[in-house]
Amino acid sequence: MRLLILILGILFLAPSMAQEPDAAQLIRNAMDHWRGLTSYSDMTMTIHRPDWERSMTMRSWSKGDKLSLVRILQPKKDAGNGTLLNDNNMWTYSPKINRIIKVPSSMMSQSWMGSDFSNKDISKSTDIIDQYDHELITIEERDGHVYYTISSVPHEEAAVVWGKEVLTVRDDYVLIEQQFWDQDDVLVKSMKTLEVVEMGGRAVARVMRMGKVDTPDEWTQLTANSIEFDLELPDKLFTLSNLRNPRQ
Amino acid sequence: MILTFRLAWRNLWRHKRRTWLTATAMIFSNVLLVFMISLQFGSYDMMINNTLQSFSGHFQIQKNGYNDNPKLRLSIESIQPLATEMRRSMPQTRVAARAAAFALASSEQRSFGIQVIGVQPEFEAGVSTIPGLVKQGSFLEDPNAAEIVIGAVMARNLKVGIGDEITLLGSGRDGSFAAGVLTVTGIYESGSQEMDRSFAEIPLGYFQEMFAMGDHGNSIAVAADNLDEVAPELITAKQAISGHNGLLVLDWTELHPGLKQAIQADLSSAWFMYGVLIILVAFSVLNTQLMSVLERTHEFGVITALGIKPRKLVSLVMLETLLMSLIGLIIGVFLGWLVAYYFNVVGFSYPGMEEVAARFNLSDKMYPSVTVFSMMLGPLVVFLFCLLASIYPATRLYRLQPVDAMRAV
Repeated sequence: MRLLILILGILFLAPSMAQEPDAAQLIRNAMDHWRGLTSYSDMTMTIHRPDWERSMTMRSWSKGDKLSLVRILQPKKDAGNGTLLNDNNMWTYSPKINRIIKVPSSMMSQSWMGSDFSNKDISKSTDIIDQYDHELITIEERDGHVYYTISSVPHEEAAVVWGKEVLTVRDDYVLIEQQFWDQDDVLVKSMKTLEVVEMGGRAVARVMRMGKVDTPDEWTQLTANSIEFDLELPDKLFTLSNLRNPRQ
Repeated sequence: MILTFRLAWRNLWRHKRRTWLTATAMIFSNVLLVFMISLQFGSYDMMINNTLQSFSGHFQIQKNGYNDNPKLRLSIESIQPLATEMRRSMPQTRVAARAAAFALASSEQRSFGIQVIGVQPEFEAGVSTIPGLVKQGSFLEDPNAAEIVIGAVMARNLKVGIGDEITLLGSGRDGSFAAGVLTVTGIYESGSQEMDRSFAEIPLGYFQEMFAMGDHGNSIAVAADNLDEVAPELITAKQAISGHNGLLVLDWTELHPGLKQAIQADLSSAWFMYGVLIILVAFSVLNTQLMSVLERTHEFGVITALGIKPRKLVSLVMLETLLMSLIGLIIGVFLGWLVAYYFNVVGFSYPGMEEVAARFNLSDKMYPSVTVFSMMLGPLVVFLFCLLASIYPATRLYRLQPVDAMRAV
């Protein structure tokens, strides 16, 4: 009899557990969804300022959680500049001087290529998985989708500049919004997904905009022109020699 | 009135020694105050000059908003011709154009974020001490060469020496990549770790090309020979930029708001010490005047009985103090001026100051500031407090009872 109650109990509990997914797992899934095992994308980055605007097109490759490569195609003046990321290490290459430069950790909070993204935003996009504690705060239903909002607080000893990040993930694991809060619990900047489309066989954020809260007329927008997932990418793509002499 | 004056003068010399003793206390404190205050103002002038000479200049021309938020885009068009024009209209000053950006500097082995300043090699020495502080190699010469002068700490951090290459990486004015390979031609030692670690100078022409600045720059620094000459030049500078939109003239108080606060803080702590000195002198005057009133109680009693109004006696005593204070003031200021003027001509220095000054490429002597203000400020306060101190002994006379007073010994 007791056994029966126990089994029944488990049976009843199980569905309710499924309804409230694990926050850490949600983020893990969102990151996997975003990066795939490997990914290739063709993007346009637009930096907007009140008195000027500038666009760059670039290609980026990623493999696993740690490896990424970005290369600028347009404008002509900047073509050939590239950034290679391997875990928390970052190198940048400029054809003008034909040199590879390692970006020191002290420069990680500086802006990346003059945009509103910091080097850190670019490099450690998956750090949030293992350096933060996650807690699901709200579940919302809108336009036929479920939106999970997760508050992520970095571990005590994590080398992170933020006090908290708040992520909104849709039920198909598209990251809808990522907010960056400082240690005084003030919202500093946020990245919002403005458009979700079907590309490379899955729903992906096509347009994302990063902007600081106190300067609403300054933002940087990333628009994906094409994305492919899970293609065959050799490891040698993510090497310093390839950064200098592109072979792909 | 003439009578009262003559009486007061005679009364003063009835006790020659006492009067001189009190006056000497005043003279001494006045000489001390004149010298200390003029030296203090002189040292502030030196402090301001040293700070301004080291880099910023006495005032700067900048785009509106640049001082609060130094962005590469907040730039001045055709900066070299504007600087040339200002050089012509202000022949007494030294003018140099600059541009400034943040960049990643790397050598073979290391990378650091630094502040890169584009300077006009031929004019920079006039507005900044850095060219004179180059200890290895030499300062920049060619206005367009790919050359860089860095601080000693930066050289150590990057592990580079004269003739080695440094790569700079940053963002240009249009947001494009700015990159350049430069040869180290000089290494300076300013003595300030902060500066030596993070401050590098490159030719302005090269800066403009590397950071896609065109003919733009970020600031024009102007240096005068001393602080007093700045005010008229500010007006000339304002006229020079009147045809340019959005440009501002910023004087040193706006460029270095902390400096003014430091001076004010130092001044108020010094005034505490001066206050003690002044109060001591005032009490010695109070003592003297009280004595001189008390010992004349009998005499004052007689005069009042003869029909002199107490008011007359009060003004007599006050006048005595006034005359004595005036003696202290005149002699004190004169002697103080002599001392201050002497040091103003030959300069004043602490032991060991020369070595320190030579290291920082600064003047090795302090010159007390001899102005009417610095001369008179202390003595006038002493004078005022002495007069205040005589109020109590003098007003006692209002309550004088002639009969009682005449009975006093």
